[in-house]
Amino acid sequence: MVISEEARAAIDGEIARYPRKRGALLPALHLVQKELGHLSPEATREVAEIFELRPVEVMEVISFYNMFHARAGGRHHVYVCTNLPCSLRGARGLLKSLEAHLGIEAGETTSDGRITLDHEECLGACGYAPMLRVDETYHEDLDEARAKEILDALE
Amino acid sequence: MAKITVDGTEYETQEGRTILQALDELGILMNGVDIPHYCWHPKLSIDGSCRLCQVEIEGVPKLQIACNTPIKDGMEIRTQTAPVKEAREGVMELLLVNHPLDCPICDQAGECKLQDYAFEYGVEHSRSREPRRAGKKNVDFGPTITFDQERCILCRRCVRFCREVPGTGEIGVFGRGDHSALETFPGLELDNPYSMNVADICPVGALTTKDFRFKIRVWFLEDVPGICTGCSKGCNVWLGTANNKVYRYVPRRNDAVNETWVCDDGRMSYRHIGSADRLDRAMVRGELGVLEVTSVDDAVAAASERLRALVDAKGPGVVGAVASGHGTNEDLEAFVRLLDGLGVENRGLATVQGESDELLVQAEKAANGEGARKLGFGDAAGVLDRLNTGGLEALVVMGHDLLDAQHLGGIEGLERLDTLIVLDSHHSALERVAHVVLPARHAAEKAGHFTNHEGIVQAVAPAVEPAGEAVPEAEAFDRLAAALGVAGEDAA
Repeated sequence: MVISEEARAAIDGEIARYPRKRGALLPALHLVQKELGHLSPEATREVAEIFELRPVEVMEVISFYNMFHARAGGRHHVYVCTNLPCSLRGARGLLKSLEAHLGIEAGETTSDGRITLDHEECLGACGYAPMLRVDETYHEDLDEARAKEILDALE
Repeated sequence: MAKITVDGTEYETQEGRTILQALDELGILMNGVDIPHYCWHPKLSIDGSCRLCQVEIEGVPKLQIACNTPIKDGMEIRTQTAPVKEAREGVMELLLVNHPLDCPICDQAGECKLQDYAFEYGVEHSRSREPRRAGKKNVDFGPTITFDQERCILCRRCVRFCREVPGTGEIGVFGRGDHSALETFPGLELDNPYSMNVADICPVGALTTKDFRFKIRVWFLEDVPGICTGCSKGCNVWLGTANNKVYRYVPRRNDAVNETWVCDDGRMSYRHIGSADRLDRAMVRGELGVLEVTSVDDAVAAASERLRALVDAKGPGVVGAVASGHGTNEDLEAFVRLLDGLGVENRGLATVQGESDELLVQAEKAANGEGARKLGFGDAAGVLDRLNTGGLEALVVMGHDLLDAQHLGGIEGLERLDTLIVLDSHHSALERVAHVVLPARHAAEKAGHFTNHEGIVQAVAPAVEPAGEAVPEAEAFDRLAAALGVAGEDAA
């Protein structure tokens, strides 16, 4: 088992909140990803077993949502919003400069395992474009210098 | 009951069906009423993803998909109006935006719904200037199936099939939007006893069977209706034939027997028809003690002489008969006529029992065991007991299922016989001890009837010329009966 007993208990707690078991699938996947960092095939199989689904069905859900990772990434996930309002405010250039700064392309992880960089669709902060998200934290009204500072400060 | 009107014609149908289901039940879908569709399949759940089956319904402002719109009493449906045709054109254009149009090297060409509907409803030119989405080619999905991602239109028929029919669910559509792609779960293969059906239901050339891939263009094939003889289910198949050869079986719909499916083992059993181990000449054991090739006439005469001498000297009680579940009812009836004429009572049936499942596969690995039982052939154990206790001096055997471990397990005991007459479509170890060997036809080479495990009687007709000089067993038995002078009036 790759899912801990604590996570399993938390998943059961989520399941209890929904009229049908599978309603709790998204919260459960968040819990497992938080614990393991990513959703490996083994973890996916275990989740499928809990929810009485086929592993492939859980995989379809994982692959549908950007916030779920089927593969292991860096210690921090940095998402640059490149949706329309952010793009109008220079987000694509910002992403390119961060790619150059880290020496990786969007979707890749730095060789020291520190940062996984990716682009993201709308994160709902259009009024503060351009923006990026580091793990659970939003950083808004960015320019290139400020964004690089934020990235450099990550452990 | 509900009355619906389709393009001006009124039909009566059951309530609780969707439009496509009702038309399918009436037998008029694509057979008078043309509603093109990709994702809908009569034996799978409704998906509603391809959007091609849109129709006009009186009183409904927008077009509705026929696959997922329930019928109502008095519903007026129009399937050929200008808005419907325009919608189909639009959907076809979208489906073709990223299609590679590699028909010249695609095995599906000629039986491709994308080709058919593009011809019927498509536009001639592409308006897109953007490069087509590149996808994975020649993806190994498992032991039987190859996947071409670029050709896939994401109708999910295969996904639903694997979840709903064999229940294995190895494949899914991963990703979102134009990143969506059919894939297997990491580390899993598309590998189940019914896997090759996904190639049949794939409306395009995305999923093809490795077995049939690049063998022949489908428009050279003549599809002959036939029966799979791999087990007692008797699944209905089309035999794809060309150059007097069977290239493949594909399932033929019969809702009473196999719906629209056939198992992989049964599908691959077409290879037995023209296989290298076909027994295609008659043989008689000569003075040197070896089997010598001869004519069927001479073999029948030799068998007749041996049996006549034995029966005259010792009576029919020393003769035994083992029927096969691979013969047609007509073959078995002729066997019964011969045995009745000779007065032979020691009769039995040898079939091989194997694995079964709850879907189609039956344990009895012969198409007509039930037919043989109905004609009075019980289990072969009685005959074999008599053989082992030395009570038999002659045996007439159809096929070689007798050699299976469930019966004799080999030829031991048979070498003591004074006379062993074998009728078989394929070579077997029986020939080491047989005195007369007659070549029999495969089910694909003769006319007749098979009775399946539920008692459903199904007809077959010849699809290819017989191998060599193979004769139907019925003919061989009748000729033998005539030579023995025991042919009744009803014999052919």
